Amino acid sequence: MTQAYQLQNITYAHGEDLVLRIEEYSIGQNVVTALVGANGSGKSTLLNLLAFVTTPASGSLLYFDEKVINGKAQALRRQIAYVQQRPYLFNFTVLQNIELGLKLRSIDKSVWQKRIELVAENLGLQTLLQKRAHELSGGEIQKVAIARALVLEPKVLLLDEPFTHLDKGSKADIENLLNDMREAGSPTVIFSSHDQLQAQSLADQVCVLDKGQIKPCLLLNTFKGQVNADKNVFDTGRSEIQIPSTIKSGIQIAVDPAHLVLSKEELKSSMRNHFQGRVKSLQEAYGEIHIVVEAEESWQAIITHASLNELNINIGDQIWLSFKSSAVQVF
Amino acid sequence: MEYLVESIVSAIKLIFGLNSEVFVVVWTSIRISVIAVVLASLFSIPMGLVVALQSFPGKRLLIQVLNTLVALPTVVVGLLLYGILSRQGPMGDFGLLYTPTAMVIGQSVLIIPVIWSLAISAANSADPRLSDTCKALGANFTQQGLLFLNEVRFAIMAAVVMGFGRAIGEVGIAMMLGGNIEGFTRTMTTAIALETSKGEFEFALALGMLLLLVAFVVNGLLQRFQYLNK
Repeated sequence: MTQAYQLQNITYAHGEDLVLRIEEYSIGQNVVTALVGANGSGKSTLLNLLAFVTTPASGSLLYFDEKVINGKAQALRRQIAYVQQRPYLFNFTVLQNIELGLKLRSIDKSVWQKRIELVAENLGLQTLLQKRAHELSGGEIQKVAIARALVLEPKVLLLDEPFTHLDKGSKADIENLLNDMREAGSPTVIFSSHDQLQAQSLADQVCVLDKGQIKPCLLLNTFKGQVNADKNVFDTGRSEIQIPSTIKSGIQIAVDPAHLVLSKEELKSSMRNHFQGRVKSLQEAYGEIHIVVEAEESWQAIITHASLNELNINIGDQIWLSFKSSAVQVF
Repeated sequence: MEYLVESIVSAIKLIFGLNSEVFVVVWTSIRISVIAVVLASLFSIPMGLVVALQSFPGKRLLIQVLNTLVALPTVVVGLLLYGILSRQGPMGDFGLLYTPTAMVIGQSVLIIPVIWSLAISAANSADPRLSDTCKALGANFTQQGLLFLNEVRFAIMAAVVMGFGRAIGEVGIAMMLGGNIEGFTRTMTTAIALETSKGEFEFALALGMLLLLVAFVVNGLLQRFQYLNK
């Protein structure tokens, strides 16, 4: 399958500080990918590279199998829409700001009105269209910048911390938008976030960045311990977790919460990890249910509303938690 | 003190008496300086944006040279262009010396570094996110330059006004390349110098007051423009 981006040995430096070093990473097309990491982990730098706003110091970057070279960057940028962390709006009205990208990319004027109306309605911007940019609040600026990107109907949409400055209602609007794009399978969306729960709920693919490097791990359900190669388990001291037989060493594991299966009875399946525990908390966030299960270790799982209704579980209930050994990442 | 007061009163009478000699001099000054500013701006503003937005070898040296040329003495420009435009000079055949055209050329050369240097500073003073936003929206280099021009237009306008002030207030070039010919190349500054040396202090003072008035009006227009575009 064609990947939206393929990065190989990419580096980027600020002066003498190497702020990004990615040996190999691919980002799928028509999926939602989240870049997760703390402040200064390299998320914005990576997004700048993916938007072709900056160029890497070294390495190879493929965009839909096409090698990105300096002369091509401007043409490729016109296929992408990028909303920066602190978006800049021009000293125009909101409408003129939204129209700007359409104008710069010479998009046929006959489609402008329809696209603008649709996006303004989705983001609740109808009443702001004639306001000047400097009259807007931080959240409104963020929404206008997202609208300015969406009207371009890009092949790839890049969003740097899109939920910053947004109130609860606006956050829900953007989350719904991302969920709609995820369901529709278009466009390819890459967004950054420092909130791993949010990232895992909204994205198909999560990329964890730490000090400019991609970590092959998820930040949830991480446990320290040691591999017992004879038994093919990872021993956390409180729990023995089955891992793939090919893994012989490691000091930490991570299990994607989306891979945990919850059931009232012990499942008879090929899954090799089964733990019985108790529901400690239930919380709705980002359109899904986040459950914490105490089963030797404290596990975090994500399920849909429909699954919750089917399971009919409440806090304190006994529950079984199962997952495949291949869902365990050891590092 | 009495002499000064009497001179000021006489100068005001000359201005409000609509003395045609005074107004021909004022008009010549404004006309030559406006043309020089327009020509210098057409070159300097785009070049300022190019220098600010592009990276190239020798950029820092160029900015340093431009900053130095901002303080270029007008007589030095006058002298160099006199050498070029005079009958023995490489452009002597055009017969431009002692014409308004020569003064326009001289004033343009004088203020190009001023406007160019200030246009670079204006573009550099733009919000640091502006450049990446233009690129991300898909702007090509010309579109990016126009967007920058719009965002820093007040600073650019100030650069143009500064250039106009330098052009209309200079005397060295006007004297050396214009020759101070009455009704043809006599400007406010050359007339002030001449009339003062002849002892016609009231006439010189009237011109001095008009020179200040022109500067005041131009700055007032700039402020009005900034206020209306806020």
